[in-house]
This record gives sequence, structure tokens and C-alpha cells, in this order.
Amino acid sequence: MHSLSRRLLVSVSVPLALFFGVMMLVLDTGFRALSERSLQELLDSQMVSLIAAADPQPDGSYAPSPQELDPRLRTPRSGLYAQIRSQHHLWRSPSTAGRSSDFGALLVPGERSNLTYTTFGHDRVAIESRAIQFADDPSGKRTLTFSVAVSLSPYEEELWRFRRELIGWFIGLMLVLLVTLAALLRWVLGPVRRMEREIHEVEEGRSETLGAGYPRELSGVATNLNALLVGERKRVARYRDTLGNLAHSLKTPLAVMRASLSGSAPAGPVGAEIDRMTGIIEHQLKRAAASGGALLGQAPVEVAQVAAELRSTLLKVYAGKDLSLELAVAPATLFVGDRGDLTELIGNLLDNACKWCRSRVRLTAGSDESAGPRERLTLIVEDDGAGISAADRARVLERGVRADQNVPGHGLGLAMVHDTVDLYGGQLSIDSSPLGGARFSLRLPGR
Amino acid sequence: MRVLVVEDEAALRDSLKERLGEAGFTVDVARDGNEGLFAGLEYPLDVAIVDLGLPNLPGLEVVRRLRAARKTYPILILTARDNWQDKVEGLQAGADDYVAKPFHFEEVLARLQALLRRAGGWASPQLNCGAVMLDTRAQTVQVSGAPVELTTFEYRILEHLMLRAGDVISKTELTERLYDQDFERDSNVIEVLVGRLRRKLDPQDQLHPIETLRGRGYRFALPRDTAT
Repeated sequence: MHSLSRRLLVSVSVPLALFFGVMMLVLDTGFRALSERSLQELLDSQMVSLIAAADPQPDGSYAPSPQELDPRLRTPRSGLYAQIRSQHHLWRSPSTAGRSSDFGALLVPGERSNLTYTTFGHDRVAIESRAIQFADDPSGKRTLTFSVAVSLSPYEEELWRFRRELIGWFIGLMLVLLVTLAALLRWVLGPVRRMEREIHEVEEGRSETLGAGYPRELSGVATNLNALLVGERKRVARYRDTLGNLAHSLKTPLAVMRASLSGSAPAGPVGAEIDRMTGIIEHQLKRAAASGGALLGQAPVEVAQVAAELRSTLLKVYAGKDLSLELAVAPATLFVGDRGDLTELIGNLLDNACKWCRSRVRLTAGSDESAGPRERLTLIVEDDGAGISAADRARVLERGVRADQNVPGHGLGLAMVHDTVDLYGGQLSIDSSPLGGARFSLRLPGR
Repeated sequence: MRVLVVEDEAALRDSLKERLGEAGFTVDVARDGNEGLFAGLEYPLDVAIVDLGLPNLPGLEVVRRLRAARKTYPILILTARDNWQDKVEGLQAGADDYVAKPFHFEEVLARLQALLRRAGGWASPQLNCGAVMLDTRAQTVQVSGAPVELTTFEYRILEHLMLRAGDVISKTELTERLYDQDFERDSNVIEVLVGRLRRKLDPQDQLHPIETLRGRGYRFALPRDTAT
């Protein structure tokens, strides 16, 4: 029931079936009444001709002369039967030959029974009887019961044929109606389906906004949705800009304060406080800037491109170190999320590895089709440095902890990586690399 | 060594000028992007420090235009937004290294010296040419393992010559990079300083570390030790 077209189809076909059912009942009843009337008419006319043809016989009974009989009454099992009966005499039409036939009880004078139903052998029949007294009866006044019976099987056959045809037509008509309705729904709901498809494309970052040309009822929704998408993108850009400006305007005074502390590096409590403030600002602003998800309409990020940019940056920064930075990024490895976040993640990990390695750093990236969408992208950064002991691995990911205080940097990089991976619902693990140093393995949303 | 500092925050600019001066640099300063670009294009610099958040012309654009004008000296960028996107953009624009604000002056100095060393083709902070060893971090000089006492100017001349050991460096270039713009320029002073330097490094007149190429300038003649 979660599809509009299914709801419509069900809600239309139930009343339709009900309507057809009632129609069939009405038509069936009408047909039966009609055939009963024609049966009655047939019996009436047969009765009249039987009475007219009945003549007194020498034995005292009444019987029609064979010439005047309806041919059907002369033919055995023709389906039309007649009987004239009195207290002492009985005449039956030749058609009843070889058939047990009970026309019912004798009637009292003046009485007439309308249609009654019974069976002659296997044949269902309708019987009409009349009690008649002939004024010129040679045997005195007595009551003769005239009965005419007609087989119902032709009528029943007719009825069933009618019903079969009725049902056939109705089912055919209903099917035609439903197919037409389904086709109509397809056509009417086409724009809704198109909107669904376009929203999906926006979700996957294949397009930025919904297209134009929606019907009037949907164009408002499409326009508002587009406005929302654009507005959201602008809002995030402005938010990041503000954060950047905030960082600038907070850190410049800090830099001035530190610069004004003349003398050597460990400048007592004030210097330590400046370091602490710097760390807090750094951490909080970066946390705030990490979006933790793809904006709607944002294209997935090519991992290879980001990695190559960072590689050339780091090779320049670490030009003083004899460094080999290998990139093994499978083609078309995509990150579903924000480009800035991915740059931070890979940048921090590679920077960290470059800091600690002897000479080799390797980034491996690929997509794991068997994993869930939140863990499809695998990123591995490893080096040939001293590595991280099992005891330190959990500690390294904590905020602001430096495994070795001698290495420059604020120790926030790895904590930042941890936070960002959490935001994306991914996974981060640390173990030993075959290169000899630490290996950071990340699982992130990818495609 | 002549360094340009492009920084809009006056206190920071002054402090950098003062401390870089103490560390033996000749310092030019610029207050905004336009000034920085002009100085970067016009002055004979060895290295530049450019803040990314500058008024009038963004630091990134200054770097880009300096590189477009084929200025090849190393550029160190200062950034308050310590994120990789900015660092990547900065280094793609042509900068050579970055330092995040607020910085320790020692870190800026170390990065500057590393950049200068690398620009001269040196990998380590110790410059070894035959018997002469110059330590750019400690600013000390040894000849055959024995320390040699040099004045600030003598040290600066030797550092300049040794960083680019093998290249010919004119007297004008030495003058320009050792003195502030408004200093009275007199090439005789350089000759006197080089003469004193030769006597201190090579009292027995055996090594001949500094060659004079008449009309062209000086060259540090001892071969670099490739091991370092």
C-alpha cells in the first residue's frame, strides 16, 4: 500500500467489482423473471388448446383427439407434457411415455395452481394445473384436472448461457477498465516518478538541482526544493567562511601575543596558556567545519585527485626529507561526502606518516563493493617508521595527545581524523604495516 | 639573506622584523597585498614570508603573481586557517612551505633556513665544503674541525656564498642582500669583509676557499661534500 498507483488501483477496482456484481445480480434476476413469464405464457397457451381439444370419450374419460394435439405432446420426451385426470379416469400425452410423471394432486372445482416445480425422472419441469367442470359432460358433473408441464432444461441452459456471457463480458470490461486506468496512472504519475528519479540523482550527487518543466501542481514543490538545495549550499559555504574568518581573527591576536613574548620558546605560564588556547580554537573550529556528510547535490569526490594534490604539497613541505610517497588509488574511487573533509582526513594522515616515516609512505584506496554504503571506501595510510605500540594506539586517537612531544605539530590531527570518521559513520583502525611502521585503515562512505 | 615579510598585523610584522633581524636577516616589510607584490617584484630577495589573509590583495594572489613574474625565490606562507585545502591551494599557487598561526618564531626561522638551504641545493642544515663547515642553525663555522669566530657581516657573507657554492655572486648582489635599502652602498666594504673572511678561514693561505672573478664577483670554490 506504499505506492500511490497501487492505492488508486485497489481503491478503484474494489467499487468496480462491487458495481459489476450488483449489475450481474440485477440482470440475472431480470432475465429469470422474463423467462418465467415466457414459460407461463407457453403453459397458458398449451392449457387453452388442451382444454379446447378435450372431447368426451366412449369410456367416460376426456381426451384430445390425436390430430389436434401439439406435435410435441405426441413425441416421447419432447419436454412438453399434458394430463387430464378425473376421479376415475386418467389421460396422459404420449410424450410422457417411459417416464415417471407425477402432475400433482387433483384439484377442487374452480381451483387453479400456478407454476409448481417438480421432477419427471431426471427432468425438471414446471407444471400448471386447472380444475374444469364441463357443462355438457355426458357423465354428469365432475371435476377434471387439466395439467400441462414443460421441461425446464432448455430454459436453464439458456439461463446459464446468459450468465456465462454476462460474466465473460463483465470480466473483459473490467480488465479493459483496469488496464486503461493503469495506463492513465502511469501517464498522470509520470512527473511524480520523474521528480523521484531527479531527487535520487541529487542525493547521489549526479545533478545539482531538479530540472524544469514540471506540471503546475508539482512545479511549486520543485522550485521550493531547488531553492532549499541552493540555500543549503550557500548557507554551508557562508558558515565555513565565517569559521575561517573567526579562525583568522582569533589566531592573529594569539600570534601577536606569542610574538610579544620575547626570548626563547618555553615562555612560562603565558606561553603555555597561548598554546592551550590555540589548541582549543584549532580543535573546535575544525570540528565545527567538518560537515560529516555529503550535501545534497554535491558530486562525489575523486579520491585520486585529492591524493595527488596532497602528495605534491607534502613533497614540497618535506623536500628536506628523502621521501617516497606512493599512491595506489584504484581508478574511479569515489568518496561520498565533502571534499574539504576528505582533504583534511588524507592530509592529516599523510602528514603524520611523512613526519614519522624513515623514507616510505604509501596511500592505498579502493572501493569495497561488498560493504555497506557507509563503509564502501577503504583508505589505508602506512609508513616505514617506528610504528605505534599496541598500548599507544587507543591513546593516539584521543584529543590532543602526542605520542612524541618532540615532533612539531599540535597532536590534533589524529583526533580530528577520528572525529571526522565518526561523523561519517565510518571506521578507523590502527595496526602494523608490512612496511614496518604504523598502518591507519579507514572505512568511509564511498561509491 | 634578504627577506620580505608581508603581514597586515602591525605587532606581528614588527616582531618578525625585529627577530629576523636579530637572526641575521635583512628584512623588508609590506603592510598589504599590493605593497607586498610591489616589494616582491622590485627588491632583490632571497626569501619571502606572505600571510594569506591580507587586505587589498589576498596572499594567495600575491604568491601567484610573483610566480607568474618568474620570481623563483622560496616563499613561506602564514595561514590562520590551518586546513589542508588552504595549504594545497597555497603550495599549488607557488609557495614552498607553510606555517600555521599562531606560530613559534623558532619554527618560522627553521622553515626559512630550510627553504634557503634547499634553494641552494643543500639537504641538511650543515653545509660542508671540504674543510669548511657552516652550521646554519647554530650560525657557527668550523675549519678542519676548529671553530672560527666571525662577525655578523662576515658570517652573512660566508653563508650566502656557501649556500650557493659554485655560483658566481656579484658584489652588488651581496651588498643588496646584506644591507637595508637605505644603507650607504660601498663596494669597498664588501672587499674589506671578504678579505678579512679569507684570512680567518685560511690563515696559512692554502685552502683558497673564496675566488675573486675580476669584474664579476666572488665564488665559493671548495666543492660541496655530496655525503651530506
